[in-house]
Amino acid sequence: MASEEQISAIKRAKVLMVGAGGIGCELLKTLALSGFQDIHIIDMDTIEVSNLNRQFLFRQSHVGQSKAKVARDAVLRFRPKISITPYHANVKESRFNVDFFKEFDVVLNGLDNLDARRHVNRLCLAADVPLVESGTTGFLGQVTVHLKGKTECYECQPKPAPKTYPVCTITSTPSKFIHCIVWAKDLLFAKLFGDKNQENDLNVRSSDTGNSSEHSADVFEYRKDEDIEQYGRRIYDHVFGHNIEVALSNEETWKNRNKPRPIYSKDVLPVKMTEKNGDTEKDCATGDVSVMAFLSLKNPQDIWSLAENSRVFLEALRLFFSKRLKDIGNLTFDKDDQLAVEFVTAAANIRASSFGIPLHSLFEAKGIAGNIVHAVATTNAIIAGLIVIEAIKVLKKDNNNYRMTYCLEHPSRKLLLMPVEPYEPNKSCYVCSETPLSLEVNTHHSKLRDFVEKIVKGKLGMNFPVIMQGASILYEVGEDLEEDMVAIYAANLEKAFSELPSSVISGTVLTVEDLQQEFSCSINIKHREEFDEEKEPDGMVLCGWVEAPVDKDNNKPIGNGESTSNALPSEEKDVEIQEMSGGTETVTGKKRKLSEVDESKKQKKPEKLDVDDEDDELVISDDWESLAKKNRV
Amino acid sequence: MAEPKTKYDRQLRIWGEQGQAALEKASICLLNCGPTGSETLKNLVLGGVGSITIVDGSKVEFGDLGNNFMVDDSSLGQSKAKCVCSFLQELNDAVKAKFIEEHPEALIDTNPSFFSQFTLVVATQLVEEFMVKLDRICRQENVMLIFARSYGLTGLVRISVKEHTVIESKPDHFLDDLRLNNPWPELRGFSEAIDLNVQDPVAHKHIPYVVILVKMIDEWKISHGGTLPSTREEKRELKELLKSRMAAMDEENYKEAIDASFKVFTPREISSDLQQIINDNCAEVGTGSSDFWVMVAALKEFIANEGGGEVPLEGSIPDMTSSTEHYVHLQKIYQTKSEVDYHVIDERARNILKKIGRDPHSIPKATIKCFCKNARKLKVCRYRPIEEEYSNPSLAELQKYLTDEDYSIAVGFYILLRAVDRYAANFNHFPGQFDGGLDEDIPRLKTTAVSLLNDLGCTGLTLTEDLINEMCRFGAAELHAVAAVIGGIASQEMIKLITKQFVPMSGTFIFNAIDHNSQLLTL
Repeated sequence: MASEEQISAIKRAKVLMVGAGGIGCELLKTLALSGFQDIHIIDMDTIEVSNLNRQFLFRQSHVGQSKAKVARDAVLRFRPKISITPYHANVKESRFNVDFFKEFDVVLNGLDNLDARRHVNRLCLAADVPLVESGTTGFLGQVTVHLKGKTECYECQPKPAPKTYPVCTITSTPSKFIHCIVWAKDLLFAKLFGDKNQENDLNVRSSDTGNSSEHSADVFEYRKDEDIEQYGRRIYDHVFGHNIEVALSNEETWKNRNKPRPIYSKDVLPVKMTEKNGDTEKDCATGDVSVMAFLSLKNPQDIWSLAENSRVFLEALRLFFSKRLKDIGNLTFDKDDQLAVEFVTAAANIRASSFGIPLHSLFEAKGIAGNIVHAVATTNAIIAGLIVIEAIKVLKKDNNNYRMTYCLEHPSRKLLLMPVEPYEPNKSCYVCSETPLSLEVNTHHSKLRDFVEKIVKGKLGMNFPVIMQGASILYEVGEDLEEDMVAIYAANLEKAFSELPSSVISGTVLTVEDLQQEFSCSINIKHREEFDEEKEPDGMVLCGWVEAPVDKDNNKPIGNGESTSNALPSEEKDVEIQEMSGGTETVTGKKRKLSEVDESKKQKKPEKLDVDDEDDELVISDDWESLAKKNRV
Repeated sequence: MAEPKTKYDRQLRIWGEQGQAALEKASICLLNCGPTGSETLKNLVLGGVGSITIVDGSKVEFGDLGNNFMVDDSSLGQSKAKCVCSFLQELNDAVKAKFIEEHPEALIDTNPSFFSQFTLVVATQLVEEFMVKLDRICRQENVMLIFARSYGLTGLVRISVKEHTVIESKPDHFLDDLRLNNPWPELRGFSEAIDLNVQDPVAHKHIPYVVILVKMIDEWKISHGGTLPSTREEKRELKELLKSRMAAMDEENYKEAIDASFKVFTPREISSDLQQIINDNCAEVGTGSSDFWVMVAALKEFIANEGGGEVPLEGSIPDMTSSTEHYVHLQKIYQTKSEVDYHVIDERARNILKKIGRDPHSIPKATIKCFCKNARKLKVCRYRPIEEEYSNPSLAELQKYLTDEDYSIAVGFYILLRAVDRYAANFNHFPGQFDGGLDEDIPRLKTTAVSLLNDLGCTGLTLTEDLINEMCRFGAAELHAVAAVIGGIASQEMIKLITKQFVPMSGTFIFNAIDHNSQLLTL
């Protein structure tokens, strides 16, 4: 029933898929069955057990192998005549440059993180290749089409910024479980098992004012001949006992707060733990080291007592040092690393008991620590089908029929799928329209390094930035730089803005470029003296595009602590819209129809779901963000 | 270690262990395993459904290789049900998969009691005559039924169940239950003990907004003859009053109080949805009543008595700016009240069970607790029998859809999906199914559609030529991309039905792949 023209357009097309995960598996299969014959697929991930509930091209026996390659083999088994080229690689590698992207007729994203999405968006813009973008969380999903100059680009709408917490909340005054998790994961776990050279805010000195000993020793130093349990107890007593005592000594902090309780291992576990050697050896053979198996804690949904958490803590530490010694020093937290999850759960729970915060199960803690987003086969299947239908329209240049489609969870307004005509490019988008941004910064104090890390990489999503003031280069990253330049750039990083060779002060315009993304933008510098440590932890504020109409009613009621996703905004649903200040009518609890909302608030539309099935880099998933939003003393 | 828990980790986060257990207990029967059926089942097998039985009498032909991923060259000439079954088994060995090589139509005609063994039957690519027959059987046997069909660039999904009740409807936006304008003694007592005019600025900015609102509403009532703010003017006035009490502009707790003040304005009454459930005939329980309706009956008594017009308190409070001490205390007050309410319902439910001659402990405590927490969100879904809808659709709705721009294409496809079945019954092929037949088929389909509309009572109304041409061009093809979407939607609805969580869609879902539009038609 398809026209000849359509069939040949599909046959001729060369498509690039980025991501071979939940959406990717479905997408590759649907492409193959829709007649596509030249498919390239990039994915850097390997297969995990938790993928098997939806990534149907993978089997238990594939765990640990490249997703892109296994997906290719699985589909070729059924469709041997088509060409599928897998790349087990990061899409941000330099070989995937603009020229590479230009070879394709359309790019289809099935990604799981904001960073990569933004990267691909820029390359598609630079190469002028249409992009079909997608994402799912639980029963929600979306498909959008982006064509340079015709529709908005992926970054035309501001994306929610990663949630950050003030350092002092994490290090000394946690009030939520999430704070304890961040502490356990980013401070304690990183300190014990991660890169020793990383900066870390954890207090590791046995005595702060220590005038008795000349060097207050780093208690985290493991002495070669030391008993591992003894070492574990020393760490335990230091972080849950000593550090809390130190914090308590600052009385000002606790005037309006409940005081934490120091916890020492001998009070919780008075008896030295006995070793059950036999069991661990067996576990080791299977490769998966787990304390839960060892301590016969069966159900990950149970909440452990303080004593159980303490045992898990010590046991996990022991297993790391006895079974995974070679990993220590280069571990980063991974939600699929059972032992790491166990350690972080236990540490967060012990800290939570100290601060009177309710304890959580391993299952819950893992969800928080890993920013795990719900994922289910059904939604991915729907979304992949929609992507292919959209991709075919792009190939047919069927411009008028492009749709951005949102897949909703509650079809209460008789819509399960909600199609919207694509929006025009946002004229103030710094990515596709070259609008300058401005940066408020204390030019005397902030260093170029902060700017590179927090703004250029963190906010603008660049990988290989070049920073210029007029014609002079202040900083550059690249493979073939002269040695003396590297030294100069390294020195510049440590300088404050105003101390740079060509001084950067209020009114200066900086040009920031990424050569790989072929993307550049200019930033007007404005000096500002003070920053609010809690609200502006970066010590600088980027504005311009970010000020674009951001959805203001973030304070809509969020579920009821229900754990289902709630990533779509109220406008699209049959929900009660709260009274809007300044509205022409009072609409308390009034139900609105989509059409009304659509007309009155054209610029408001569903937030994109940046999330997807697997998500390491993204922020805190919605539920947690809302829980973590408020500050409490 | 517990392998399945890791494998299902991501979905357990959606429907929990209870939902997963229901899924693992369910037995599903699929009729016809073309791409629509195969895709539907694939999604459930991956999720770990208990058992599947595939019924399909056809052999794999060359054409199947083009749209069904679960068959390949080596399957040619073999039973399609067998090939699809073995592919699906490979996806998840925890699922019991079997197949029956027989045409579903034959089974429906000759062995209707076959279907009684299943939790749910999913019937794909079935024509009207057999949809009607199967629906009758499944209703008789109390087996849930869902239809899914892909046809060119359109398709439908339709649930058919006598009654489906949902406790955990999990709406994603729902107003919290704080009782700000109707505090019970403990909440009032706690609020009264807190001084809004405390001098210490740190203490002042950490009074929880719940307390601020409870107290300010009392103050408001005193100066307004005991009434709550109701007009726009009064509501603004209350907000101004709140603003005037801020000690500093950055007091988050007061900002939250102002933002949350609309919660006070919401009238104290149960929603019309819930009212309808309480007034339902089923709430007059007897021996045959389900647990759900027994609990509704208990709820009804509660509202009329202890509840004083309100449902049991939910018991959770949202995050808010507060000192930890106040917050924890508030949490406890809400929890305690919800515990008390739960015990009343529990007691009443057990009495009702006794009265209707059932074991008073036959409903687990956990279920009643869950019911209480979700009392405001209960849902009852009922679906008309297919036969009734097809012979006697709601004429008013049908006419509305036909003349409403938003619905006209969807209802057009709805009519045409029925018309092609009539057409096929007359001409032994679907319109456009064979090359070169279009010129003849288009007018025939048009005539069929017009006569169908006449039969339904919509004389004078017709469908656009474009749509009829389009439908003929589809030629009854089952496109993979459309099948993937329809299969995805069908499986998603099946999960809702099986887990009894979330609200399944009502009416007939029509998908239009031309512009990704979809509509639900309730006829």
